[in-house]
Amino acid sequence: MSVTVATVTYTREDQRRDEVPYGSTVYNSIMGFLIREARLLDHRDIKAWGELLAEDLEYKAPVRITRRVQQFDQEFGTMGHFDDDYNSMMVRITRLITTTNAWSEDPASRVRRFISNVTVWETDVPDEYEVSSYLFLTRNRAEAKDYKQLSAERNDRLRMTKDGFKLARRSILLDQVVLGMPNFAIFL
Amino acid sequence: MRLNSRNEYANEAISQFIDIENREVSVAALNDADLYELELERIFAKAWLMIGHETEIPNVGDYVVRLMGEDQVIIARTADGQVHVSLNVCPHRAMHVCLSDSGNARVHKCIYHGWAFRPDGSFIGAPIEREQMHGNIKTKEQLGLKKARVQLYGGLVFATWNHDGPSLDEWLGDMKFYYDMLFCRTDKGLEVLGPPQRLTIDANWKTAGEQSACDGFHTLTLHGSVIDIGAMGGEADTEHESAPAMYGINLSGNGHSLRCIAADTSWALAHGKGDLTPEERLEAFPPPGITPELLPELKRNMSAEQLHVLAKAPPVVGGMFPNMNILFIYSPLRDGTLGSALVLHSIMPKGPHHFEWTTYYFAEKGTPENVKVMMRAAATHGTGTSGIIEQDDSDTWPHMTESAKGVIGRTETLKYQAILGENRPDDWPNKAKVYEGFGKDDAQWEWWLAYHKLMTAQA
Repeated sequence: MSVTVATVTYTREDQRRDEVPYGSTVYNSIMGFLIREARLLDHRDIKAWGELLAEDLEYKAPVRITRRVQQFDQEFGTMGHFDDDYNSMMVRITRLITTTNAWSEDPASRVRRFISNVTVWETDVPDEYEVSSYLFLTRNRAEAKDYKQLSAERNDRLRMTKDGFKLARRSILLDQVVLGMPNFAIFL
Repeated sequence: MRLNSRNEYANEAISQFIDIENREVSVAALNDADLYELELERIFAKAWLMIGHETEIPNVGDYVVRLMGEDQVIIARTADGQVHVSLNVCPHRAMHVCLSDSGNARVHKCIYHGWAFRPDGSFIGAPIEREQMHGNIKTKEQLGLKKARVQLYGGLVFATWNHDGPSLDEWLGDMKFYYDMLFCRTDKGLEVLGPPQRLTIDANWKTAGEQSACDGFHTLTLHGSVIDIGAMGGEADTEHESAPAMYGINLSGNGHSLRCIAADTSWALAHGKGDLTPEERLEAFPPPGITPELLPELKRNMSAEQLHVLAKAPPVVGGMFPNMNILFIYSPLRDGTLGSALVLHSIMPKGPHHFEWTTYYFAEKGTPENVKVMMRAAATHGTGTSGIIEQDDSDTWPHMTESAKGVIGRTETLKYQAILGENRPDDWPNKAKVYEGFGKDDAQWEWWLAYHKLMTAQA
């Protein structure tokens, strides 16, 4: 196996079962979850967002590679811009909310996360869903007149618990090979 | 001619950017279009540049496309196992020949008119052979892709357009003795842990370039948040004096640099106090990237003098002039053990106000597979795009570049006046310039002297 580019199935299509109908109760509650977490992040309530993460979390944003059409199955690398689990995400969150010198987001960017094109599938596990959504994100900082923009497809695993939905997995498939923003000091 | 005026400009003005006597660099150097064009010619077309690693192209025909300055090149492996670097510009009509970032091809065929090239860059021919569409003025031998000079070092692919300049060994000079401790220390060598991260930073390339030359001082403030949450080790009352990289040994030669951190400091941060001899400590606490099973290889591949350095104060961070940044650091792994993150960055200019920051993660090939996966996660967590350490660096460089846009701001200077001076300890090898103590500006100033030397060298 080449270590450079792996055929990595970040979409987990194999785990998708029946599609949950648009407008159904489950679909609406998942849509509500996605909007709520975007709102929490946009309003920098990072602590509350962290409470939506499951303890078996896998949070990844693989690097993208420009490939010939015949090699579309090798578009994503084994390396990522994020390669996190629950504990490492908690370290990130702790740094952002408990210190007074996390300079990459202080002064903070003004970020809006627009979520759309949501598709929900049932899985083999009751109360767990595979969810695909589009993310469009604008980020503005200091006196910049322009926005740093980002578009991506997110493939999530959501789990219904007694405390509501938890995010158990997120694979963020970015549309940029060369990122236009200088860091991911923000969550996607 | 613009080129002539640039040469005159260079001869007169480059020295004005750099005040050697007072160790100051004009902020204007971070925002000057003419200076930038000269940098492309005199630095990025002349220096040895690290552009990848041979483990990215393990098979015959494998290739990746990379940047050398603003020029795209193809790094490809030929049937004899050799690695070749060729300009990704068709000699016919300047079309890019390779349009994907990586792949495998025995023939690189330009999609415009079909001129075809081998992985070593040589010209095979144009379609409709009998019509000889390359004409009869130039021979096929003259119509290959422009070739760079290539040297592999520790598997890293170095290339330069300076075919008559110094060899890579000469270019690295005495610093090679120390770089060997990072890149050439095991039997099988390093491997990449995947294709690199790439991002654009709205800053002049020199802001990141000069920082890579052992700017340890910024750790205390810019990376204060990482110290505050305990991710760099130490206790609340000792964190600032024991913060990693504050006291150590800086090395510099030809503008290259490395920062060696006393092994007893790292040991104390990781394990508390302990009374071990340097040899015992090397055994119990190998340098970053060396797992216990690799220790015998390290001992076999390193000289006694190198082992002494590794036991006393292994090199952990630094740079290679002009545009490579090195972090071979200890880092907690997700299984709770203390492991490491092996990281290289290249800083490629994209105009006076932008550069592409490319990040490679490595492990020794002999590392257990599960440890490689954890090392990759640890590197991603600390460095590169989302790294809790380096995301603060990427925030700083654009501000410096912005400062250079003001007519008053650009009259300010970058100052390198905190001097430790050469003070090699008695038991340290007599190689390169050695500065022991609280890391100061010495090595960074040497970076600027190397810059000055190359920028004013007669072509």
